[in-house]
Amino acid sequence: MAKAPSLANSTALRDGAVFRRVEHLGSARSGLWEWRLQRLTALALVPLTLYFAASILWLAKSDQGTAAAWLGSPVPALLVILFVLAGLAHGLVGLRSVLLDYVHTRTWLIAAQLLIRAGAIILGGASVLAVLKLFLAR
Amino acid sequence: MMERPISPFMFPTWYRFQITSALSILHRLAGIALAVGSILLAWWLVAVASGGQLFAATHAFIASPIGMLLLFGWSIAFFYHLCNGVRHLAWDAGYGFEIRDAYRSGYAVLAATAVLTVLAWLYVLLA
Repeated sequence: MAKAPSLANSTALRDGAVFRRVEHLGSARSGLWEWRLQRLTALALVPLTLYFAASILWLAKSDQGTAAAWLGSPVPALLVILFVLAGLAHGLVGLRSVLLDYVHTRTWLIAAQLLIRAGAIILGGASVLAVLKLFLAR
Repeated sequence: MMERPISPFMFPTWYRFQITSALSILHRLAGIALAVGSILLAWWLVAVASGGQLFAATHAFIASPIGMLLLFGWSIAFFYHLCNGVRHLAWDAGYGFEIRDAYRSGYAVLAATAVLTVLAWLYVLLA
């Protein structure tokens, strides 16, 4: 019998062989997509959150006009929208994994998942509309 | 009769305190706090876009003692989750799994969190 190649020194991020093994004959179902989304959004959020945090510190003592002018200009508008969307997607994967650990009734699990998804969609929609309003009013 | 230990409730009753597991739980708690914080983020963006009374009320809330306390807590949660998240990404890429390395990176994350939080608030208070 052919011996499977060793994956001892591989990790899922470094070597596609791990993904191929768990995806097809392995136990992974849709969860692998979530795992990937969590890591990809994490990578994107490193620069995006640092950018947003630095901007907020810079805006800390400014008035509404300054903040609105900043938020409506093209680069901040784009980066804040990306930050909010990546953050909410990342948060949804994380909150879902918390729910899966602590909510053991199917009804409550579905209800809680619907709630966090609806919350994320509302927060994301409101944020995007707010930024777009300022951007389009330029 | 003793209850059977069930997975996410192993700590601290069944497992001895370790910096690694404590940081892991803190990572999750910080993540939950940041998810809650996204409400204020969206609220602030809407307030900036609306201006007028909504912005004034939002600004007053943020500048109030409760608002500042929340912001302070969120800033710790943010810097901690960011630094420890980078530590997690390094593990995902296969680095730092030796126990000694995991301890060292854990302490480094705590130090970086403290330094970044203090720097951010010094900037707010002094600039």
